[in-house]
This record gives sequence, C-alpha cells and structure tokens, in this order.
Amino acid sequence: MPDAVRAVGLDVGYPTAREPVTVITGLDLVVEAGSFLSILGPSGCGKSTLLRVVADLLPPLAGTVEVLGATAAAVRSRRDVAFVFQDSTLLPWRTVRQNVCLPLQVARSRLTRAISDRSEALLDLMGLSGFGDRYPNQLSGGQRQRVAIARALMGEPKLLLMDEPFGALDEITRDRLNDELLNLWRRTGTTILFVTHSIAEAAYLGERVLVLAANPGRICLDRDLKPVKQPQNRCTREDPALVAVMAELRAALAEAS
Amino acid sequence: MTPLPPLARTVLPFAGAASLIVAWQYLLPMAGVPAYIVPTPTAVLAVLARDATLLTGHFWPTALEAGAGFLIGNLAAILLAVVFVHSRVLQAAYFPVVLFFNTIPILALSPIIILIFGLGMTPKIVIAAVICFFPTLINMIRGLDSAGPSEHELFRMLSASRWEVFWRLRLPRSLPLLFSSLRISSATAVIGAIVGEWIGSDKGLGALIIQATFNYQSDRLYAAIVLSSLLAIGIFAVVVAAEKVIVREG
Repeated sequence: MPDAVRAVGLDVGYPTAREPVTVITGLDLVVEAGSFLSILGPSGCGKSTLLRVVADLLPPLAGTVEVLGATAAAVRSRRDVAFVFQDSTLLPWRTVRQNVCLPLQVARSRLTRAISDRSEALLDLMGLSGFGDRYPNQLSGGQRQRVAIARALMGEPKLLLMDEPFGALDEITRDRLNDELLNLWRRTGTTILFVTHSIAEAAYLGERVLVLAANPGRICLDRDLKPVKQPQNRCTREDPALVAVMAELRAALAEAS
Repeated sequence: MTPLPPLARTVLPFAGAASLIVAWQYLLPMAGVPAYIVPTPTAVLAVLARDATLLTGHFWPTALEAGAGFLIGNLAAILLAVVFVHSRVLQAAYFPVVLFFNTIPILALSPIIILIFGLGMTPKIVIAAVICFFPTLINMIRGLDSAGPSEHELFRMLSASRWEVFWRLRLPRSLPLLFSSLRISSATAVIGAIVGEWIGSDKGLGALIIQATFNYQSDRLYAAIVLSSLLAIGIFAVVVAAEKVIVREG
C-alpha cells in the first residue's frame, strides 16, 4: 500500500496579485496510509495551505508531493480525497440529504436506491437520522459540521483532509465530535490529516502530531503518539501521558514563535 | 417593541389603505380640491365600470408590450451575464461599454427607438426590454459570482465540470439576486411600455393617458393609472409566485 502522502523538498504558498507568498519551505513529510495525523500550528504557519496543496487546490511552489502513490491532481480527479472546510460549506438551497448526495450527483451517478440507502446510513452514523429533510439554516453549527463530514464520506475517500473543522464550535460539541471522528476513523480506515490550532484537540485525535512554526513555516516537532495511546489510538482526555504530551506540544509552540 | 399578533398584521394594511381611500373620497372634496384635478375613488370606479370595454381594449396592448419586454429584456440580461462570468476576456472588453450605455436615460433614447421600429408594438417592447435589461444584467453577474471561495473549492474537490459548477452552484446562488431584480423589473417594464406609447401610439394605456389628459377627462386618466398599476402588480405577483416555487432555502 503506498503512503498516503509523500512530500519531498516541498515549498508551499498562496498566489497573490504580484507574486506567490511562500509560507513553508523545504518540507519533507511521509504520512502512512490509514494513519491519523494532527497538524498543529499558529495562524499563518501554512498548515491550511499545506492541506490545500495535498488536495490539489493549490499547486506546490517547489518540490514534489505524491498522494496515495500518484499525483495530487490524479487523486483529486479520481475523487479519492475529500476536504472538510472550517465553515461547513453546505449549500443552503439543498436539504441535508441533498447536500450529502452532492458528491455522487456531481460524479454523475444516478441517484439509485443504493445511493440513497448509503446517504441514510451516513446520516445515521453521524447522528443525523430524522434530519434529512431539514435545510442547513435549520441546523446548529455542530449539526452542520456533521453533515459536512457525512458529505465528505459519501464518496468513500481514501484520504480525508480536515481544515479546522470544529474551530467554530463550543467545547462540549467539539469534544463529542472528536470522539465521533475517532470512531469513524477506526471503522473506515481512512487516512485523516487534521489541521487545528487547538493543542488539546491535536493531542487527543492524532496518532502523530506535527507542530508547525511560522515565519518561516517549518516542522518544529514531529511527535509519534502511538506508544502513548494503545490500542488503536485510544486514551482519555485526563490521561497523564496525554497531559504530558500536551505540555510538550505547548512548549514546542512557544519555542517556535 | 413586541410584534403584532398575526390577525392584526393581516388586517392593518387593508385598514390603512381603506382609511386613505376614505380620506380621498371625503376629505379632498371638502378641502376644495376640484374633481378635474382629483376625482373621487367612486368616480374613478364608475368610469372603470362604464368604460370597461374601452379600457380593456387599451389594457391588453400595454400588457402584451410590458410582458414581452419583461421576458425578452430579462432573458437577454441573464444570457449575457452567463457569458460574462464564463469569459473574463469578454467581460473586461464589453462590460464597461454596457455600463456606459446604462448611463443613457432610456427616455431620451425612446424617440430614436420609435424612429427605428416605427409606430407598432415593437418599439414599446424594445423600450420595456431595455429598461429591464441593465439592472438584471448587473444583479445576475453579481449573483453568479456570489458563491464563496470555499464553495468553489468544494466543487473543485468533487472534480465538477464547468457545467456542474454553473448548474449546481452559480445558478442557485444567483437566484435570490435575480428575483429581487425581477421584482423591480415588473414595475419598470410597465413604465417602459407606457412611455413608449406616449411618444407615438393610438393604442394602450399610455395613449389613453395622453388622450384623457388633452381632453380633461381626469376620471378616465385616473382609471388608466389604476389599470397600469394593476398590470405591474400582476407581473409582480407572477414573479413572487415563481420565486416561491423555485427558490428554497428552508
């Protein structure tokens, strides 16, 4: 099985009217297939930009990035990668069910019985059964983000990229969604790259945490949490080992900025 | 302020209108406003009943001109907006020219349109169409471009074709702005048709308004105004009904 992501000498940045602004230079990174990687960093460190390069939403400025053993563009056009945005990006004129079915409609699959069964199953899985006919403006922020995740899973992606998906939610809802996301990951085996600026969230979710520093963007800590969280990336939020990891991540962030 | 109960909210607009009509009926004559300037509502109603055949004979040409102008002008604006948002080159080249034309008062242009198209219905339809065209073009371009960057990124992640992006994102996004423009056009299309009739016509509500004015038939003039207003309300109602069916946002 090829690695989920393999970046060599990668420079990423975003285009502006004049010339592209580089935010991360010379990044080398390998992400194993099936793993859960948290990417933690302050605003402006390029963590979202990095995710967009992996998603082929932005071209790399230098270096190479291989996704699932192919080019990022090929993987995107095969629809093997899905993206969950910070704002849920639900289409307000579509019901929850229609939003969840969007990926397959765009892929020109006919809306068959199998597809509608699948969308119902996903809504159940995300705790949204009975909400299929609601419109996004009738949902809470947490529910909207659940719909966005269900929509991302609809295309059965091999790689799920999440850009601060729970950043705008209250802490209680965020904790619950973190647990649901971990359950989902254990069930599906999808590789997840999860960008966040919350130390607690990064430590609790990731099998591995990457801490990025800003100006210039670079990896300042690459911490494997598998030894801490056994089996299958399990731990409690109060686990002393996890608390120690959080202190370590906080120190790395402080040193970096 | 606490909101009014639903019954009050339904009844009060009618009560408000009725109070103004009553004031018009009784207070204006008492204040000494002569009937040749402002005839009473009952006088206007009497003309509407008495001259029904004459009035409907003038109503339908205007309705046809305004309706056809509304459809043609808005359709042309929507199509041009679609072309503009898909070709930045064409938009950059021609949108400023279009904006320049928009600064020409359509009323100043209408004698020329009548010179070109003669005295039939065509010039009135053209004037009504032109008057609808610009606001809808500008609103439709804004609407088609109103999808946010993350919505476009979502469709890119789904490897959506240009057609899919148009059909499933840009078009539904544009509908609220399009319909707010169509609501306004429902009144301006009628204005366009009537102005066209003023300049050269013996049929239509515009022609009737001019004739009634020259003949000091102010009750007939007011009846014609009532009918033009009803025409605009009719087109507006069709737009609102279509919006209810097409635009759904929970």
